[in-house]
Amino acid sequence: MRNRTAYVAGGAIGALVVLAGLVFTFLVPVPWVVALAAQFDTSLFSAALRLSVPIAFAALGGIFAEKSGVINIGLEGLLIASAFTSIAVAWGLAGSVGPTTAAWAGFIAAILASTLLAGLFAVVTIRYEADQIIAGLAVWLVALGLAPFASQIVWNSVNSPAVPTLNNWVVPGLVEVPVLGPAVFDSNPTVYLMLLAVPASWFVLNRTAFGRWVRASGENPKALDTAGVNVSRIRYASVLLSGVFSGVGGAGLALGQVGQFIGSGQTMVSGRGWIGITAYLMGNYNPIGAFLSSFLFAGLNALQFRVQQISELNISPSLVQMVPFVAVIVVLALVGKTRLPDAAGDHYESGDD
Amino acid sequence: MPSWSESAASKIVTASAKERIYISVAAFVASVLVGSVLVYLSGLVVDCAGGRFLGSCYNPFLVYYYLFVDPFVGGFNVALVMKETVLLIFTGLSVAVAFRAGLFNIGSQGQLVLGGLASALAVIFAAPFAPTGPVGTLVLVPLALVVGAVFGGLYAAIPGALKAYAEANEVITTIMLNFVATNLAFFLISTYYQDPESGSVQTVAIPEAARLTPVLPFFEGAQFSVVALVLGLALVGGTYYVLANTAFGYDLRTSGVQATAADYAGVDAKRLVVSSMTLSGALAGLGGAVYVLMVMSRYRTGIPALGFDGITVSILAGNNPLGVLPAALLFGVMKAGSLSIDFSLGVPKQLVGVLRGLVILFVAMPEFFRMLARYTSFGPDADRPVATDGGEDDA
Repeated sequence: MRNRTAYVAGGAIGALVVLAGLVFTFLVPVPWVVALAAQFDTSLFSAALRLSVPIAFAALGGIFAEKSGVINIGLEGLLIASAFTSIAVAWGLAGSVGPTTAAWAGFIAAILASTLLAGLFAVVTIRYEADQIIAGLAVWLVALGLAPFASQIVWNSVNSPAVPTLNNWVVPGLVEVPVLGPAVFDSNPTVYLMLLAVPASWFVLNRTAFGRWVRASGENPKALDTAGVNVSRIRYASVLLSGVFSGVGGAGLALGQVGQFIGSGQTMVSGRGWIGITAYLMGNYNPIGAFLSSFLFAGLNALQFRVQQISELNISPSLVQMVPFVAVIVVLALVGKTRLPDAAGDHYESGDD
Repeated sequence: MPSWSESAASKIVTASAKERIYISVAAFVASVLVGSVLVYLSGLVVDCAGGRFLGSCYNPFLVYYYLFVDPFVGGFNVALVMKETVLLIFTGLSVAVAFRAGLFNIGSQGQLVLGGLASALAVIFAAPFAPTGPVGTLVLVPLALVVGAVFGGLYAAIPGALKAYAEANEVITTIMLNFVATNLAFFLISTYYQDPESGSVQTVAIPEAARLTPVLPFFEGAQFSVVALVLGLALVGGTYYVLANTAFGYDLRTSGVQATAADYAGVDAKRLVVSSMTLSGALAGLGGAVYVLMVMSRYRTGIPALGFDGITVSILAGNNPLGVLPAALLFGVMKAGSLSIDFSLGVPKQLVGVLRGLVILFVAMPEFFRMLARYTSFGPDADRPVATDGGEDDA
């Protein structure tokens, strides 16, 4: 079953690539293809890595929550909350401490804010047995309302001024490696964090006692309870972990890429949390698969930024911006139903409560 | 065909309806309380010259006066309330219908956007062939409404079909389709239908004859039409009737409550998913058409988040079409009031967005209020939480 889904997911990605290839071959004149092919270079790779950060972290968080039996569709809201907090704190401290300290303080504050919101979601769903989908939606809508409201209070505008950002870290020596060096080893700290967090999450989920408890809590909470492990505690820990991860993702977006908070429309997060959910569904709850899916979406996004700048390709930016979202729908349609953990979405009440 | 009032389960349904109302009211009050704390704390941060309330620039009592009472002072304000209410009825009904079928349509926004755009374009293209004056109105307005409903419905049929035949989760697909709709509308207008005289991305204005105007002198000057209100009320009644008294409505509700049971009873589940989503999208599309005819008189990008507000309205209404009316009115008042808190007190109008989220959060946790009720020994007895199962788990 698991293998089948993985094959379907692989097939879906393959089909998508072939489909894109066909479109380009038959509909796109040769000079366009040449111009487009020229875009695939190290800096596109590096941009794709950077753009993966919020999506991949949201996806990792989503995996832990859902594996433990709590479907957290509020990831988008967690990203919004942390993006706003990181900018507000970095802005507030920029005058009194150095820019680097201010940015890192913003980073830490963002993780706290996102974890706090995730904690609220955990209490509402675990303690007060709220429907997880509706409560997750509420987390999104609360953040979607609160962040622009707070921006108005702080900056008198839904958008913030520019703030100090997290500067790239260059790894001496490794950056000299041809092709891979400049693409990976001259990156934002949050990119390195992502490259660490993905294998670490895989290891924790599959090779540690905690990971076993998380999986049991989502598949068979009764058994876990019988074994003497507190199901609620595991679920709280997992949901809080999704808050920590989303906090890093939101701060990575705000402090690692944009350098300001944009609160108009659907805010600067603009669907990345939702794409994160699709990324882990597509990766079948495997952190590595989820990261690869995130990287695919981020790559499409990085490509669309560039396609807009190719003069031979006179394509409307809004049309190109649709591509990642359409891709998500196509992938979801092809992958179909991924197998949810058995107890995901269910409340669990231990007998001695 | 068992109707709600005649069914054997009517007692349970009434009891649970009572509890739903209780929970909705409690959730709303709780949101308002949390909102006032938020407003008070915000007032400590901002700078202000004038009087302070316990050290805060914002007086929560005054904020709620402007939010809930001021909208009823004067004909213009009332018209503003009615305008927002009417718009929320469509998306509220849209979400409610899907919800009843056990489907979560978060894509009302996208369906409204494309329905509105299609109806604006239809009117603009048909106008040269249509007569002017009242006769033109009789041709163009129904045309716009039908086109809006058709396009909204078709756009919702996509996630419906994906759910039915590819098992793609409709929560995710409808959200993605919102983003697609916004970008698609922007692309279509900026590339093909741009008003050459305008700097913003919009179509040319629709002809006078196709506009929905106030009709009653009391509402003069506001973008509110009594005709749109009548249409909204008719849809509330119509949707209630369809859900309660038709075979389709019965199948829809049964699928929402117990999909397997519906399957045994011979309901074609896949077709039902597509048709429920289509109906839901058609209602959102109608909302888009009304937005164009009544508010904008053209299609312009940057439509307010009526679809998301519709989710709140429907959840507050317990997903009951009749409940949509008071819930839409409540949010209509708050939307109008958000302008007056901004204008009169300088409190950001985004406050209503915060309240929207809080309302959903509190409605999601009836268990919280039950514990509160048990603790204070007040309020009716418990039943299960509001859930994504059609909101009729107890029927």
